[in-house]
Amino acid sequence: MAFPYEHEREVRILSRGWGDPSARTLEGWKALGGYKALEKSLSMSREAVIDEVKASGLRGRGGAGFPTGLKWSFMPKEKTGLQYLCCNADESEPGTFKDRELLRWSPHQLIEGCLIAAHAIQADHVFIYCRGEFFEAVQVLARAVEEAYAAGFIGENILGSGISIDITVHSGAGAYICGEETALMNSLEGRRGLPRVKPPFPAAVGAFGRPTTINNVETLCAIPHIMTHGGAWYREQGTEKSPGTKLFCVSGHVVRPGNYELPLGFPLMELIHDVCGGLRPGRTLKAVIPGGSSVPIMNAAECEACTLDYEGVVEAGSMLGCASVIIMDDSTNLVKQVRRMVDFYAHESCGQCTPCREGTQWMARILRRIEEGRGTEEDLDTLLDLGDQMTGTTICVLSDSAAAPVASSIAKFRDDYLALIRRGERVGAA
Amino acid sequence: MSETSSSSGPVPFRNPGWAGNTGAFDLSEEQVRGDDYVGVRPADGGHASGAATYPYMKVEKSPEAPLFEGPYRERFDKILSRYPESRAALLPALNLAQELRGHISPETMREVAVLLDLPEAYVRGVTSFYTMYNKRPVGRFLIQVCTNISCNLCGGDEVLASFLKHTGTELGSTSADGDFTVTEVECLAACGTPTAVQINSRYYENVTPDSVPAILERLRKKGE
Repeated sequence: MAFPYEHEREVRILSRGWGDPSARTLEGWKALGGYKALEKSLSMSREAVIDEVKASGLRGRGGAGFPTGLKWSFMPKEKTGLQYLCCNADESEPGTFKDRELLRWSPHQLIEGCLIAAHAIQADHVFIYCRGEFFEAVQVLARAVEEAYAAGFIGENILGSGISIDITVHSGAGAYICGEETALMNSLEGRRGLPRVKPPFPAAVGAFGRPTTINNVETLCAIPHIMTHGGAWYREQGTEKSPGTKLFCVSGHVVRPGNYELPLGFPLMELIHDVCGGLRPGRTLKAVIPGGSSVPIMNAAECEACTLDYEGVVEAGSMLGCASVIIMDDSTNLVKQVRRMVDFYAHESCGQCTPCREGTQWMARILRRIEEGRGTEEDLDTLLDLGDQMTGTTICVLSDSAAAPVASSIAKFRDDYLALIRRGERVGAA
Repeated sequence: MSETSSSSGPVPFRNPGWAGNTGAFDLSEEQVRGDDYVGVRPADGGHASGAATYPYMKVEKSPEAPLFEGPYRERFDKILSRYPESRAALLPALNLAQELRGHISPETMREVAVLLDLPEAYVRGVTSFYTMYNKRPVGRFLIQVCTNISCNLCGGDEVLASFLKHTGTELGSTSADGDFTVTEVECLAACGTPTAVQINSRYYENVTPDSVPAILERLRKKGE
């Protein structure tokens, strides 16, 4: 079966088993070289595994881009009791749809990555926290975990190494905020998903009060490949500071939306026009959100020279986030879309910090007023002022994320707002 | 995208799960999920590592079913065995209760509180935090339409309107025959195949306003 998302410029490492049902079985995965990296890693010291990951330059794929090897090295050197690894599979950032594919097409890749990581950080138990809506993906994953237990890859004394690791698949119940690492731990413990104040950091006091590391699905899926081929091999793709490949989730107004695995540093305009088949006929580019709904919106001019690596997107005026590229053409009613994003943050705010709980609701009401043609120019100043007070004033960054699209859209697309405010004219229909 | 597909009369519904780009693919159930796909775990949860995974919503609910007996009790005990503290079994227990009963009533919250030796008010607090717990009974098919940005850009609002029109319901309420409850949902992580719709446990992707009647017809006839 031809997988619909393929393109010749892709470098398929993490996504190579996608579309092939046999790749999700233990036998099929082993035929692709699976579980060799686990065997190799278990024969190495945990320090040597961390050094290899550090050498690869792999950065966390959940949005922040923090170096993975460094994060692992924060775990205690001397183990004093239980330690945990949490895999963050609570994929819910609007525009992001890579983890679901990784879970349901190559579950053993994730399991292998989890086991290697657990060895490196001396974790006894791995909790894979999946978002509750992923019913289908979770069934596939749970089946794969069961197979791996039966084959002796998970459990007591793995492959005779003396190392024991358990894996449990855990389902959430619908809360965007549980993708934030400390909220995820609270949720895992059976609490409301409220982010925790840091410090203490999870590596000191994490899930169930024990040292914990939290990694994204895509980060962990890269680990087996790095351990098989080495850190230097991984650096052959991508840029000096952002090595390796990344799954780009492209959605919105392009001819072929989808997941594309490309080297970091890939030019944004080539992603749109070559890989994704361009915009729909007769349309022009209006705006791009390069990293999921939480990052600033870019206008067409900023996209021109933008390369898709962590540094390149910052230079162009936004952030790479989890590389969820949302494309908007000239038919877009930007005010409506910003209002829709803010509605989302207002709904998903956990409510523990006042600037976020109140600010997101205020913003949503003001934006709706503008959208309905009842706004004033002062409303724009109020929105910017609110955004300032919502940035850097809360426990987690959900509040900042809500403010980012509002502030950037007012700065870059003020005319869209003014057309609605002055003349009640809507720009774009979509 | 809605502009390209709404031009020439009703379009047959083509994509039961995912498909590539905007309806150009016509994949069978086996192709979508793979030949070896095992849909639902056994009632006793199978291996303990996956006992906490569950079918989110079943077509036929049993609001009076006991918590928990027979294989469900085994599954609950397996779940308890996986966490260092029993409180952590709260979300899985609520999931299991919803799988059986279809929604989480105040009575269910009380029973779960007793099972896990937690204060009833605490269980209510946790239940109210999470969107996926239905606080009221829902229809045989819970239809959740994504209207967040990526789907919205490609017509999510129109798809939602079409579901409301063809089921004859209002947002959040259940049709008179008890078949359909239609709600809006936040991003389902299927942004490359807009509009994404979750019906009970299953994703429907590349849904256009025109494909809605065919989906509803299929549900009425074949269940999921």
